[in-house]
This record gives sequence, structure tokens and C-alpha cells, in this order.
Amino acid sequence: MEQEVGESLIQLGNSDGSNSSSSDPVTRVRKLLFRRMLVGIKDGRFFLGTFHCLDKQGNIILQDTIEYRSTRRSSPSPMEQRCLGLVLIPSSCQNSCHVDCSVEEQLSLLKAKMI
Amino acid sequence: MADKPVYEEASIDGQPPKLASIPASDTTVWADASPLLQAACAGLRDGELIHGDNFNLFAAMSALEIMDPKMDSGIVCTYYSIDEAIENGAAPIPISLDSTIDVRCTIDIMDHLLACEAAWHKGHSLAQTVFSCIYLLRLDRTAPHALLHSYCRIIRATCKAVVSVVSDARTHEEEDLFTMTYGLPLNGDGDDKCLSILNAVEETISRQLRACKATSSKRRLPEDLEPLQSNSNLEEGFCKALLCRLRFRKHFFHVLSCMKRPQGRGLESARKHIASCLTELESILESADFLRSCFDESCEGDIDDKTTASGFEPIGFDAMLNSRLSAPTPPRAIKILSWKKAVEYFVKLLHDLDVICSYSLDPHLESLLRFVVQFQKSQPDLVARSHLQLLLVQDGKLYGRDPFFAVINKAAALPEATKNHDIQKNESFLQLGMLVMNLLKILCTNAAWQRRKLGKFLQDWRVIYVQLELAFRNEYGEVSSSSNDENTCMKIFQHILLWVEEQTYWIAFRFLILGFELELYSTGEYCMVYWYLYAVLIKLTEKTHLMMAVSHDTAKRKGKKKKDSSKDLARESRIPPAVLFLQCYICLAEGLTMMLAALRNEIPVFHSPSPFNTEHEKFVQHFELLQRACIPDHVSYPSYKESTTHARFSTLAMYNYFKDAQRIAKEVKSSFSNDPESRLGGRWGRNVPFGWIHFSSYLK
Repeated sequence: MEQEVGESLIQLGNSDGSNSSSSDPVTRVRKLLFRRMLVGIKDGRFFLGTFHCLDKQGNIILQDTIEYRSTRRSSPSPMEQRCLGLVLIPSSCQNSCHVDCSVEEQLSLLKAKMI
Repeated sequence: MADKPVYEEASIDGQPPKLASIPASDTTVWADASPLLQAACAGLRDGELIHGDNFNLFAAMSALEIMDPKMDSGIVCTYYSIDEAIENGAAPIPISLDSTIDVRCTIDIMDHLLACEAAWHKGHSLAQTVFSCIYLLRLDRTAPHALLHSYCRIIRATCKAVVSVVSDARTHEEEDLFTMTYGLPLNGDGDDKCLSILNAVEETISRQLRACKATSSKRRLPEDLEPLQSNSNLEEGFCKALLCRLRFRKHFFHVLSCMKRPQGRGLESARKHIASCLTELESILESADFLRSCFDESCEGDIDDKTTASGFEPIGFDAMLNSRLSAPTPPRAIKILSWKKAVEYFVKLLHDLDVICSYSLDPHLESLLRFVVQFQKSQPDLVARSHLQLLLVQDGKLYGRDPFFAVINKAAALPEATKNHDIQKNESFLQLGMLVMNLLKILCTNAAWQRRKLGKFLQDWRVIYVQLELAFRNEYGEVSSSSNDENTCMKIFQHILLWVEEQTYWIAFRFLILGFELELYSTGEYCMVYWYLYAVLIKLTEKTHLMMAVSHDTAKRKGKKKKDSSKDLARESRIPPAVLFLQCYICLAEGLTMMLAALRNEIPVFHSPSPFNTEHEKFVQHFELLQRACIPDHVSYPSYKESTTHARFSTLAMYNYFKDAQRIAKEVKSSFSNDPESRLGGRWGRNVPFGWIHFSSYLK
């Protein structure tokens, strides 16, 4: 298990090679910048965009965002989408937040093992 | 982005079911990042952000904030989508099983659509106004309801026609949202048949009206027609109310079609349809009393604010459904015009269109300019102005019929023969033609836009003058040639150069006057504005006078039309009325300048320096565009100060600016009636500012 964690740490190791900083959540989130992020909000819509910015309050800015919404209150229902551009999602209306990543990365990177 | 759904078996922390329909990609999954983000937030210092190299705080401020009603047009409201709204009965067909209520509701929908249309014309988006109607958004499903279906079809066809006119005129940049359709269903199959469909419905209702009238007078008609609705007491009122509404739409559509015909061929027919429209609008207004009284229930609220004649809220409208179809940019909160105001709007629009249709397509540019300036005084809205512009400039010709060089030729008092001269192929003359065309387009825009454009335009006119002068000097540096053609070319250049100067000063004059209309000058600045006006007017009068003298020459050469040569001689020695008129303006401008300067010099309270910028700075700000184009030459802040510093009431009493203006105006007024020739008889229009004169005299 430790080896796995170690491997994962090396896997996402910084170019400067310092291991201790790579386990810091801020750095790990930095690594997520420019990745596709899917944020669900409380009224049921989803916003898919490139992760652009995060602040201390948890507000997220996405770039090249697409909004997804269902066309009926009851699910299942077909989804509609439209392009929005640069979007700020306040933390108060966020419901969920997912990042696009490979299966291996998911296991190691996103488990909140706060060290 | 791949279309395939996410691998559900790869989910570790139980993805919500909806996520499954938003694709990730072939090799990736959605992984929950919330715990990590929370941890990162805890680890951040106050004010610290996680962002990449391309991050720009200023740019980030333009991000749309989700769930802010002013910025997020997609906030889920009552219904998730149009289809859901329809499924939940927001737009029933038929509207009611009770035919009386169904008819009343249909009329409410018609009235509300009229109000929406007026709101749209005033500058709001189509999506928030006309297309907030669910019936319009899914027009095909209204097919079983003949009345609603025909009405919706003609509305759609009308909107499409109006969008096309405004887009072609390209005056809509100033009025943002007008032509943006964002994928709204404006193009319908079979909309070209909308008139015949409407006629069929109109015919049926006419017969129903005849039938109910026959029944009331105890006469039986041979045909056994089903009545419009079930309450026989209300049948006549409802039939009439419907007929005037349908007829209004029919005639309005005809107005648009006729006015679209090239070279103004349809203008006369359009006038007839405009007259019919106005009649029907009157009937529509009269029907309001009946519609309000036909039901026992009274509506709440102020009747004048309502968007329907009956006062009831219309069924089948939801502006929020379409808000996502408007751009991602903030949807403005808008108020649909009240029904009464909507009818007033259409009455005004029709009157403005009527003025356009009555225009005689005068080939004289100065009459046309006068007409456009006069037309703009009634503050016509976008739709009317677009129609005017399209009438004036079509296919790169005036009225689609007169090439601009011919127009310039006439305006510059050149003989008819030169209008086809080859010189028009010269680059500078081609550009001059473009400038005249653009001038007409600019004069059709709204006042604010117009002033801005005219200010920038001055530079172009100055440049063309310099270019023409250069070309002239290069060709005819020495006035020695004797060849006929060269003489003609020289004459063309001379006339046109003079005309360009006159036109440039006219534009400068319009630019300054529009500043008053737009209330751009503070009262402390009036003095310098009038002074500058005075300077421009002096030059304008000079050029106009020269132009008139030159046109007399041309007339003389053409041969006199009138036999009374002594009268002509007398006329020639007199100053032409057009010039007198300008002199009148000059007196006024000078008088006002001096009066305001004296006030400022003698009474301290009128001379309070602003804490923000100096008088010199204000001078530069207001007249920068004119100064840059050297209009007029040798006019500057120091010369302004020199002219006005010594103004005192004691010295002013020696001058009779306003009395002079009054005297000249009287003379001009009488000579207008005597002199029928258009060029001499009133270049600047019959709108003599007598009110201005009286006001000034009163002040004195």
C-alpha cells in the first residue's frame, strides 16, 4: 500500500523533485488546473469546463463551459446543452464536483488522504 | 468529446445517475474532487487563489456568475423546458372547452402579442418578447385552432419581414438585441401562404357576423353556419373585435411588403394599407369597452397597465423558457408595454411610415437632406428609420435609381450633360459618391449615433476635398487649356470642390446642433458653442452664396426659362433667400454669443470656474473633431477668448443682433412664398426658428 502511495507520489512528482510539497492539497489541486471539471449545482444543472481558478471560499471558475440541463423534472430525460464561456460557480450553490481522470489516477490522486 | 456514456462500473464513490449521461471520454472517468478541493481551500491563505499562468483577474471579472438572476439566464424556473411546459398545460389547445372563453382568451393572446411586438420594436430581444409565446414556439401544434394558428403564422411572417428590413439597413447596432434571433423559429414552411390562411379565417368570421346580425333582425340566411361562440349576446361584439385585429395584421403585412418593393414602386399602395391599418387600430381601441364588460369578473390592478384590452392575463406566455435562447450575456429584466401604449406605438409607427411613403423621391440632394432632417424631428423609431434608409440607398444608388455621381452633379449645379462624364470613374469621385451614400445612411440613424458618426465623418470630407484639390491642381495647374473637354473637366472640379466645402460645413453645423438636441452642452458652455456655430455659419453662408452664384451662371448658360429678364436681373442682385436665412442664423448665433459673454463678464455668478477642467480643456473636448478637420480654419480657443473677453452690456446695446435677425427672417419668409425654384426657395427648410427669435427678443 505504501509502495502504491509512493509510486503515486512519484507519478505526480514536481519537476523540482520535492516530495513533501506534492502531498499538499493545494499543490495537488494546482495539478488539476486546465483539466475538465464537472460541477453540479443545486437546481440540477451541470457545468462542464476547464478548471481555471479556485479561491479560499471554494468558488470555482471554469473556462469554455458547457451547461447541461435535463428537459424534464423527472429523470430519466434527455439533456440539453449550451455554451457559456467563462463561468463562476459560487461555492454556496455547488452540489458536486468531478474531475476527468484516468482510473489509476482516481485511486491515488483524488482520495483525500490528507497528510 | 466522445459521445459515449461513462463506465459505470468504474465508479467508486457512487456517481449520481444524471452524471451517467454526460460523457467523459473513452479512457477516463469522473472522479469526485470535492474532498480534495475542500482540503485545498482550508490550506489556502486569505486572498490566495489557485490559478494558472493564463489567469487574469480583470478578465475573470467578466465571468458569468451562476445563480445570479442578472447573469445566469439558465436558472431553472417553473418549467425545465418548453416541452415540459406544454405537457403541464401551459399552452392548451383548445384554450378552453367553453367556446366563449376560448375566443376571449384568443383575443387576449392577440393583444399581448401586439404589446410584445411593440416592446421588441422599442429595442428588446425577440426571445423575451414576441417569442415568449409558447404557441409561437411550437406553431404546428396550433393547427387545430384555426384562429390562433392563422394569427401566429402572420405574426411570425411579420417579424421575419421586420428583422430582414432592419438587418439590411444595418442601423441596428445601436439597438442591441433587435435582430438577434438565436435560433428562434422565425422561418416557417408555408408562411408565404399566411395571408391566404388569414383571409379564410377572416371570411368565416365575417359570415358569422352577418349571420348573427341576421338572426337579431329576424332574417334567416340560407347558409347554416356554426357561430363563433356559444353566447349569442356576445357574438356580434366578439366577431367585430376579432375582425379588426385580423384585418390590422393583414394590412400591416401588406405595408411591409409594399414598402419593400424597389425604387419606391409600392409606396402608394403602402399608403392605402397604412390608412386601413389606422382605421382598424381605432376599431381595436373601441373594442376594449366590450371586452372589459362581457364577463362578470373584473380584473385586478390598474387597467392601463394591462397588456390586453380585456384586462385579463394572457395564457401561454413564459419569457423564462426562452431565456436560455438569448445569448449567455445578461438577460435584461424588461417590461412589456401596456396594451394602450402598444397601440399608440403602432399608430406613431404608421404615421412615420406614411411620411416616408408620401415622399416624392426628389432627385435634388438638398431637398432630400432637408426632408430627412425634418423627418428626424419627430423622433421616429428604429423600424421607421430602417425603412427610410432602405428607400434612400438601394443597390448603391439614390432610391435605387439615380447614380450618386448624377446626384452630386445636380447638387453642384453642373449642367445635365456632365452627369455621364468619364471623370466619375476617377478614384476620388468614386469615393465622393460613397461619402454621399454614407451621409444619407448616417442621417437615418438615431441622434446619438448620428452625432458620433458625423463627427468622425468630417475628417473624411476634409480628406476628399484635399484629394480633389490636389488632383485638380495636378491636371489644371495652369488655366490655359482651350479644349472643350478640358474646360468641362475643370468646371466639374471647380463646382464639386465648392460643393464639397459647402457640404462639409453643413455637416459641421448639424454636428453642433445635434449637441443641443442631445443636451451635451452645459449652460456654461453655451457661449463657446454659439461662438463656434457662428464661425461655422459664416463659412457655410459664404460657400452657399458662392454656390448660388455659380448655379446662376449655369442657368444663364442653359438659357432663361422666364421671359422677364429685368426681374431676373433684380433677383440676381438681391441676396438669395437661402443665404438670407443663413444670415439670420448668423445674427442669432452672434447675438447669443455676445449676450452670454457679457453675462459672464459682468455678473460674477455666471462665471464660476469648474473644479474639474478649464474652459480651454472644455473647448478642446467639444470641438476636437472639428479642429482636427480644420473646420473652420484659423479658429481656436485664443480667438474665442479674444472675441468674447470684452463683451459688455453697455457696448452690446449698440448692436441689434436680434432685431436684425427678426428683420431678415421676415424678409426671408415673404420671399419663400414668391420664389418657387427649389434651390433658391428655401434650402434649410420652412422650420424657421421664429420661436428662437421671439425668445431672444424676450430676453433682451
